[in-house]
Amino acid sequence: MADLTVCVGNIPFANPVIAASGTFGFGREMRNFQNLGRIGGICSKGLTLLPRDGNPAPRVAETASGMLNSVGLQNPGFTSFLANELPFMIDLGCRIIVNIAGNDPEEYLEMCRRLDATSVDAIELNLSCPNVKEGCMLIGSNPEMIEKLVAAARQVTKKPLWAKLTPNVTSIADMARAAESGGADAVVLINTLLGIAIDRKLRRPILRNNIGGLSGPAIKPIALRMVAETYRAVSIPIVGVGGIMSGNDVLEFMIAGATAVEVGTANLIKPTACQDIIDEIRAIMELDGVSEVGQYTGTLELWNG
Amino acid sequence: MRTIEFNCPIIDHESINGQTVVLTLEAPAIAQIAYPGQFVNLTSNQFLRRPIGIMNADPARGSIQLGIRIAGEGTRFLAKRKKGDILSLLGPLGRGFNLEGARRVITVGGGTGVFPLYFVQKVCQARDLEGIAVCGYRSLGDSFLTDQYKALTCQTLFASEEGDDMDFSGHAVAALDDLLAKLPLVPETRILTCGPEKMMASVAALADEYGISCQVSLEERMACGIGVCLVCACKIKRGDEQGAEYQRCCTEGPVFNAEVVEWQI
Ligand SMILES: Cc1cc2nc3c(=O)[nH]c(=O)nc-3n(C[C@H](O)[C@H](O)[C@H](O)COP(=O)(O)OP(=O)(O)OC[C@H]3O[C@@H](n4cnc5c(N)ncnc54)[C@H](O)[C@@H]3O)c2cc1C
Ligand SMILES: Cc1cc2nc3c(=O)[nH]c(=O)nc-3n(C[C@H](O)[C@H](O)[C@H](O)COP(=O)(O)O)c2cc1C
Ligand code: FES
Repeated sequence: MADLTVCVGNIPFANPVIAASGTFGFGREMRNFQNLGRIGGICSKGLTLLPRDGNPAPRVAETASGMLNSVGLQNPGFTSFLANELPFMIDLGCRIIVNIAGNDPEEYLEMCRRLDATSVDAIELNLSCPNVKEGCMLIGSNPEMIEKLVAAARQVTKKPLWAKLTPNVTSIADMARAAESGGADAVVLINTLLGIAIDRKLRRPILRNNIGGLSGPAIKPIALRMVAETYRAVSIPIVGVGGIMSGNDVLEFMIAGATAVEVGTANLIKPTACQDIIDEIRAIMELDGVSEVGQYTGTLELWNG
Repeated sequence: MRTIEFNCPIIDHESINGQTVVLTLEAPAIAQIAYPGQFVNLTSNQFLRRPIGIMNADPARGSIQLGIRIAGEGTRFLAKRKKGDILSLLGPLGRGFNLEGARRVITVGGGTGVFPLYFVQKVCQARDLEGIAVCGYRSLGDSFLTDQYKALTCQTLFASEEGDDMDFSGHAVAALDDLLAKLPLVPETRILTCGPEKMMASVAALADEYGISCQVSLEERMACGIGVCLVCACKIKRGDEQGAEYQRCCTEGPVFNAEVVEWQI
C-alpha cells in the first residue's frame, strides 16, 4: 500500500495535496463534490484585517492553457472569518492553513497574534498578491522586508509560518532565503504571474483592473524551474504551486524539490480535482514501485556540462 | 442543493440557423431538480467551462435542453457537437427565478435570453399561471423558438428590431411598454427578464414605473461556476446599509431582484 503521508516542517499531512488559496473558498461549496477529510489540507481564501470588496468585473480572462484573475482579495475580513468560517473549516477533518495578506506589517502581525490562539495548522503569509495596490507584493519583492516581516511574525505566534512568494521578481531564491533567515517553516511558490489580456476590437484590456494574475498549466514550467532553483538555495521545505492538473504534475514538483503541493486553478475546472489527483498519485506510485511519496522529493538530476 | 459533475450524451441536436442550436442532453439527475433561471457549466475544447442557461428540463424523460448561440470558440465547439457526443457539465447551478405567489408572469427576453425564459413559461403553464412572453429579436430571420413558445398556453409577443413581419416592430422594451400601457393590471404580476444588460436595465425601469416587481438574470464572466473563485462579481446594493457589495453571479445569482442591482452601463 502506497504511503502518501508527508511532513511539512513538523506537521504531518495525510497526502501532499493541499487546495490553494482563492480556489477553494472556505471549503463550503467543495463539500458537495468530495470528501474533504481525504485531501491533505485546505488553504483559506486570502484574508485581510478589514473586509475587502475586491475589484470591479470583469475579473477573469481566459488565456492559452490558463486564466488571468483580478479578484483583488475580496474577503469578509479577518474577524468575520474567525467567527463564521474557521470553526466550520476546523471540522472538515483535514489540515487547515490560513492565508493572510496585510496592507502593512502591523496588519500581518495582528492576524498572526489572533491565529495563535486558534487550532489552525499553519499560517501562510501571502507576500505576493498581484491584485492589490498596497502592501503585500511590495513586501514580497524586497528580501530585507520579507526577512523582517517573517521574523516579527515569528515573535508573535508559535504556529508554523509559510511564506508564499511571488514569481514577479528577478530571483525568487533570494526571497526564499530571506524568508528562511526570518524563521519561516516553509516557503510556498509560486503565486500568479502578472499579465494582461487584450480585446482587439475594443483596444482595451479585458480585465477591468487592466492587469491580473496568470495561473493554470501555462505557468507550470516556470513554477517548476523556480522550485528547482529554490530547492538548491534553502533547507526549509518547499510547497510547490502552479498549474498542477494531475498526479503526474504533483510528482514532477516533488522531484524538483517540493515536499507538498497546492492545487489551484484545477479546482475551478474540475471540482473533484484534488481527490482525483490523490488517486492518480497512488496509481503512479504503484507503477513506479515507490512505497513512500516523500522518496520523490528533490531527486531531480540536472544534466552536467 | 447538491451539484455534481455529469457526462451527458447529446440525444438531439437542432440547428436553428448557422449561429444557434438547441441541444437536448440526457441528464436525469439535473432534470429532476433544475428550475428556471439556473444554468450549467459546460466543458468545451477551451480551458474554462462555459455557462449556459437551462432552457428546458423534462424530469419524466430525464433530459434537459440548452439553447446556444455561437459567440466564440467555446460555443462554436459546443454548437458543432453531434448526436451521441458526450458533454461534461456541472449543474444545476445558481439561484433562478422566484415564481412563488405569482399570478401573472411576464417574461421579457432579448437575444439568447429568450432561451432560458422558455423554461419559465413552461413552468407557468404547468402551474396554471397566466403567462405573457415578450421575445425580442434583431429580425424575423434571426428569430428562434417562436413555435415552441406558441405551443405553450402563454400569450406571445414577438418583437423585431428591423420591423419585419412580427407581432411588434421595435425593441422588446418598447413592446413591453406598449403591452403594459394596454393591459389591465392584476396584482401579483412579475416581470422576469434575461438578455443584454442595457435591455434588462430598461425593463427594470419600466417595471418600477408600473409598480411591478421585477427579477433580472445577470451575465458575468465565470470560471468555477460553483462559488469558490469569486471572479463573477455582480455589484449588488446592500440591504440595510449604504453602498453596494460584490456578490457571486454563479451562486447568489444569476437571478437578482431588479431593485438591488447596481447597473454597470
Ligand atoms: C449565467 C449565464 C447563462 C448564459 N446562458 C446562455 C444561453 O442560454 N445561451 C447562450 O448562447 N449563451 C449563454 N450565456 C453566454 C455564454 O456563456 C457565452 O456566450 C460563452 O461563454 C462564450 O464563450 P465562447 O468561447 O464562445 O466565447 P469567447 O468570447 O471566446 O469566450 C472567452 C471567455 O469569455 C467568456 N464569455 C464571453 N462572453 C460571455 C458572456 N456573454 N457571458 C459570460 N461569459 C462570457 C467565456 O466564458 C470565456 O471564458 C450565458 C452566460 C451566463 C453567465
Ligand atoms: C481566482 C484565484 C484567486 C486566488 N486568490 C489567492 C489568494 O487569495 N491568496 C493567495 O495567496 N493566492 C491566491 N491565488 C493564487 C493561487 O493560490 C496559486 O498560487 C496560483 O493560482 C498558481 O497555482 P495554479 O496554477 O494551480 O492555480 C488565487 C488564484 C486564483 C486563480
Ligand atoms: S464563477 Fe467562481 S465564484 Fe462564480
